[in-house]
Amino acid sequence: MEVLTAISKVGIYVIFGVTLLGAMMAVTLRNIFHAALSLALTLIGVAAVFFVLRAEFLGAVQILLYVGGIMILVIFTVMLTTRIGDRTIPTSNHQQWPVLIGALLLLLYFVRMIGKTPWSIKSELAVVSAVQIGKSLVSTFIFPFELTAVILVAILIGTVILAKSDEGEEKS
Amino acid sequence: MDQLFVHIDQAIIHWAQAVLPDWMAVIVAMKIPIVAIAIFGPVTMMYLTLIERKLLARIQNRFGPNRVGKFGLLQPLADGVKMLTKEDIVPEKADKIAHLLAPILIVIPALLVFAVLPFGRNMIAVDLNIGVLFFLAMSGTTTLFIFTAAWASHNKFSLLGGMRSVAQMISYEIPFVLSVVPVLVVVGSFSTVAIVEAQPGLHWFVFTPWGAVGFFIFFICAVAEVNRTPFDLPEAESELVAGFHTEYSGMKFALFYMAEFMNVFTVSALVATVFLGGWQGPILPSWVWFLLKTYTLILIMMWFRGTFPRLRADQLMGFAWKFLLELTFVNIIVAAIWYEMRSPLNHLTAAAILIVTIIVLFQFNKTEIPKKRIYKYAYAD
Amino acid sequence: MFGIGVLKGMAVTFKNFVESYYKKERLTTIEYPEKRLAEKERFRNFPFLIFDEKPEDPRCVACDICAKECPPQCITIVRAQDAQGKPLKKPATFDIDYSICMNCGVCEEVCPFDAIFMDHEFELAEYGRFEDLNYTIDRLLKPKEHFMKIRPTDATRIEAELKKKENAKKAAAEKAAAAAKAKAEAAKTQASQVPDTKPETKPNEPAQPADPPAEAK
Repeated sequence: MEVLTAISKVGIYVIFGVTLLGAMMAVTLRNIFHAALSLALTLIGVAAVFFVLRAEFLGAVQILLYVGGIMILVIFTVMLTTRIGDRTIPTSNHQQWPVLIGALLLLLYFVRMIGKTPWSIKSELAVVSAVQIGKSLVSTFIFPFELTAVILVAILIGTVILAKSDEGEEKS
Repeated sequence: MDQLFVHIDQAIIHWAQAVLPDWMAVIVAMKIPIVAIAIFGPVTMMYLTLIERKLLARIQNRFGPNRVGKFGLLQPLADGVKMLTKEDIVPEKADKIAHLLAPILIVIPALLVFAVLPFGRNMIAVDLNIGVLFFLAMSGTTTLFIFTAAWASHNKFSLLGGMRSVAQMISYEIPFVLSVVPVLVVVGSFSTVAIVEAQPGLHWFVFTPWGAVGFFIFFICAVAEVNRTPFDLPEAESELVAGFHTEYSGMKFALFYMAEFMNVFTVSALVATVFLGGWQGPILPSWVWFLLKTYTLILIMMWFRGTFPRLRADQLMGFAWKFLLELTFVNIIVAAIWYEMRSPLNHLTAAAILIVTIIVLFQFNKTEIPKKRIYKYAYAD
Repeated sequence: MFGIGVLKGMAVTFKNFVESYYKKERLTTIEYPEKRLAEKERFRNFPFLIFDEKPEDPRCVACDICAKECPPQCITIVRAQDAQGKPLKKPATFDIDYSICMNCGVCEEVCPFDAIFMDHEFELAEYGRFEDLNYTIDRLLKPKEHFMKIRPTDATRIEAELKKKENAKKAAAEKAAAAAKAKAEAAKTQASQVPDTKPETKPNEPAQPADPPAEAK
């Protein structure tokens, strides 16, 4: 059985590694399409982490929304940019050193925060079912849930208005 | 007979426990369904190509492949050999890495979704408690890889195919996902096993008003999701050569084909599971029922292909956004009403609401037939 | 109503699908190598040469008209000669390059001796691209029964014409013979008076150097 535990541990670290690698590549790659694909890799990696932590609902939703939806939109946008695949596009500018220092400071701060937080460590992972998530969404977290709905409706109406105004211009 | 494959599985596990060390036995037990799926998927795909060719041929009053083996039964093997030995051409300006990765990656979700399909009583690889959601999420990622392939080919036709694929996918994903929601509302679980068990005997969801409408929407969206005629705009032969796989040859092309046909199978299986009661049914063994329903749906898809011409892009979008989407929203509410009311009344109410909705939607979607034009100056006198 | 047309279309394809299994007129495909369509009599493909009794004695007299008329120039004829170098009325070689022939049938039409006809043979695949498709006389020669078999109407007509011609010839010959006889008899009566003025047939001209065989390539 120890072999199995070891294998699964290695697997988890591989997932972490791939996720981080994807994130790094998404930022550093010159080819914008490759960067977008690396971002997709990162998102899939995050979903895999969710699956490992037995949060299957979150994992599936992560893939459904981020990989299936948002990544597609991102790539669609990439398609519409000019100079796709142009290797001369710089991915950094002269501010990289100050930004690096800032990022390191932020990282230190996060590490400190994570270290200080009193995490409640359970011996067994609590499996949260979709039903529980749904119930809490319409009871405890009803306000943020409804707020999101309002924002989405606003976006929808805005889109419709934008699409409509084009037509009006054509007519006049 | 019903538990035939389960018994085989058990026998192999027993043998493994007797012969192998403990940890290896666990791995063997884990691998059995994986190996079974890894064999079942491609073999299904191979013979689906044959079935499709035979069926389309018969619809067009031809024989179809009948040279290699009896009834052309060895044709898929011949095709496979041909594909394997074919030259692999990579366009000079292609994005080499993405061009290589796309066909490999596209098979992964197609194989993964087999895991949550209940092939029969106790015959499921993983009974995830989010089974349906997992399926939808995985099949949604296919688009990403199609798009990768399209972009990597550095070909205008490929790119157009990819663009169309994305537009179509985004439109049909929404009614596709939402049309399952009524079932989830009624069953109260994402698990495919729970969904099947909620439809005992012949009490399939398709026999309820909301189930019939949901089945209709889900099946149409499924056809659109796997890019099959009449929704095959991404690979429209007559317009885009072959769409996103124009620049692929040999085994890479075969992988695209494999992914497409495995998606056809899995999506039909999911429709059967969610609305047609999965493996539920009298007399016959459970897995026979499951395969029977799945293959019926696949044959209907092929029948569609033999019948309908391709939709125009605007018809495609209009159908998804102006008709299916509204109907799914109404359907969710109807399912909730049906669930809360008492028995004879709920069917009537649900049917009435749905019929009214459909009629109203038809009224709104009516295409205006333009008046017959009179050409004033076209005639000399 | 939306959807009626959809169902109608599906009904049509379904009907086609089902009826293709039991209705003969639906499934018109002939599975070629095993079953074949009956050959149409007027079908014509590549030319062949005809012989009457034995293949050493073809009808062709090596007149070279077909070779001259052939639009793509695919026929090569070398006239046969006897031991003295006198040209004979038969070909020594008669090659038709099937890879060049365009199946026009001009050779058949121009042949004054009804010696070349268009065949029904169409399974002509070969491994060699040049040599194997250059048909020599031994592959071209076919008995007249073959012609009768593949194109009975034409064959009977041509045979009848030939017979007529032959009969006419025979009749003419008989007539000539009779005339000659009469003449001879008439001559006999005057034999004592008139000396024989019949010119002697000239001896053969000195043998011409044989034509160099036409270079194939």
